[in-house]
Amino acid sequence: MRLFAACLLPFIVPAVITGFIWSLPGDPASLICPPSVCGGTEALAERWNLNGGPVQFFTGWMANAMTLEFGNSWRLHQGLPVLELLTEAIPTTVSLIGLAALMVMAGALLATKGWLPRALDPLLRFMGLIPALVLALAGAAFIELTYGFDSFSDAGKIARLFVGAGVLGIADGAFTGAVLGTRTTFETEAQQRYVGIAILRGERLIENTLPNVAPALIGQMRARIIHLLSGAVIVEVILRIDGIGDLLWGGTLRQDFGVVLAAATLFATVSAVLLVVQAVLETLVALHVRRAPSGVRLERQA
Amino acid sequence: MNRRMPIAVASVSFGALIFAAWLAPEHLGQITPELALKGPLEVGPFGTDTRGRSLVDYATQGAAVVALPALSAGILVGLFGVLGGLLRCLGSERVNAAIQWFSEIVGALPRMVVILVVALLLPREHRSLFPLAWTWALLAAPGAMDEAASVAERLGGSRFVEALRAHGYSARRIFLVHVVGYNLRPVVVRQGAETMMHVVFLEIALSYLALAENQPSFTHADSLKSWADLLKLGYPSLIPSLDYNSGHALWLALGLLGLVAVMSIAIGRAARAR
Repeated sequence: MRLFAACLLPFIVPAVITGFIWSLPGDPASLICPPSVCGGTEALAERWNLNGGPVQFFTGWMANAMTLEFGNSWRLHQGLPVLELLTEAIPTTVSLIGLAALMVMAGALLATKGWLPRALDPLLRFMGLIPALVLALAGAAFIELTYGFDSFSDAGKIARLFVGAGVLGIADGAFTGAVLGTRTTFETEAQQRYVGIAILRGERLIENTLPNVAPALIGQMRARIIHLLSGAVIVEVILRIDGIGDLLWGGTLRQDFGVVLAAATLFATVSAVLLVVQAVLETLVALHVRRAPSGVRLERQA
Repeated sequence: MNRRMPIAVASVSFGALIFAAWLAPEHLGQITPELALKGPLEVGPFGTDTRGRSLVDYATQGAAVVALPALSAGILVGLFGVLGGLLRCLGSERVNAAIQWFSEIVGALPRMVVILVVALLLPREHRSLFPLAWTWALLAAPGAMDEAASVAERLGGSRFVEALRAHGYSARRIFLVHVVGYNLRPVVVRQGAETMMHVVFLEIALSYLALAENQPSFTHADSLKSWADLLKLGYPSLIPSLDYNSGHALWLALGLLGLVAVMSIAIGRAARAR
């Protein structure tokens, strides 16, 4: 089911957006770009393939998207190929999300090992309440104070990326959720009877609980990475990091439907890839769990 | 467990939000340049903006922008949670599979991306926080349904319902009182309260991002001020070299955000099981 959902996701997002445009009252071309802004909508409808109905638009756009042809930006960077804009932005966003995800994973690891004292829980809970916008503003002020006019130099850009990753990793409960979520999952599992028996047999706690909690932890981590993708929009705009989130926001503000549709589909594709990774990891864990533990002879063999 | 304190805090903070929204003026007050950027000690209670207008109007208009959409989104998520819990109690595998499908697809979408797409597609004249808040609620629904379903599962699901039926309880009493009232209430109320908080944070984020680019907000009319305007006004005070005395606006914005966070936590705790 998860793999099937993953396959559908990149198609569902543009399909829903297309359906939404045609379900709203009024002409799609004037809806996407009001006549007061864009002038003659008939010519625009023809240029954007909006004049043949939703099915023609969707199939045409998907067929082009399959060949990585997303057309040109309609308004944000008028005339520039959307693929070029995406290609420039992807590495930055990947670095940002990657660094933030590392931070979240470090939180989960610290919780697993029990290296974070419980006395820090109130602080973690407080940190988890801070919205991304507020932390991003604090981060932007820090960059401004530290780098001043040099904040757009190479060093400034790197600093923005690291500060952005820190903000993403902490804000909206990302780090807090990783620590408390992982710890709760392990604690709940540790109360199972088999764990008690394993400990009495002299086995280690983590070796018994980890295979059984791994699917839950993998699912949590996927949800957190999707959450980071969501927060990247705010962080990239406030900290002026030229990533996909910034592109998506710019496209939304300037009603550049070409950029938004491509960026949203890209986000959906990333999410689909994460679903596939989760399904594969869950399968590997299930195979590992089904294997008889080494050193234990099955009853039949005995 | 003593729930008096959370109930009191939740009532006061929620009452303050609704009262502030009710007090909100249609337009900001008179411009008085000589009172520009005065602190709370000089012009009470919250100080003034760059044109000498009281920040009280900013706070109340911001409350008016978020109060009802956030409340409606919270209620919507709560209803989805109730639905998830009740459907689990029915014990139908088909229904549960359908819910899992819905959760898998909707839960895999980055929320901000969906919100921006909806914001883009909304006609300018119909821009308001309501559709965005409801979209957020829809995106938060799988989590609420899943958690409520887990609670119903721990309760015994369909076996719990059968047991109560065997005791001669009516369907209304079983589902409304025992399942929803006694068991699902803590989860769905907490989820609803968290969604309220998230919608407020979403509004501020969207308005701030639009303000940063000198564009109209997706969430309210240009004549209204959001709490994001307070953040925008107060932000330069963080940079001493700018010599901009607007720290009072920043503190007010953070205080209002804190109030919403406290309200959300207090509502969740007030609804906890005894």
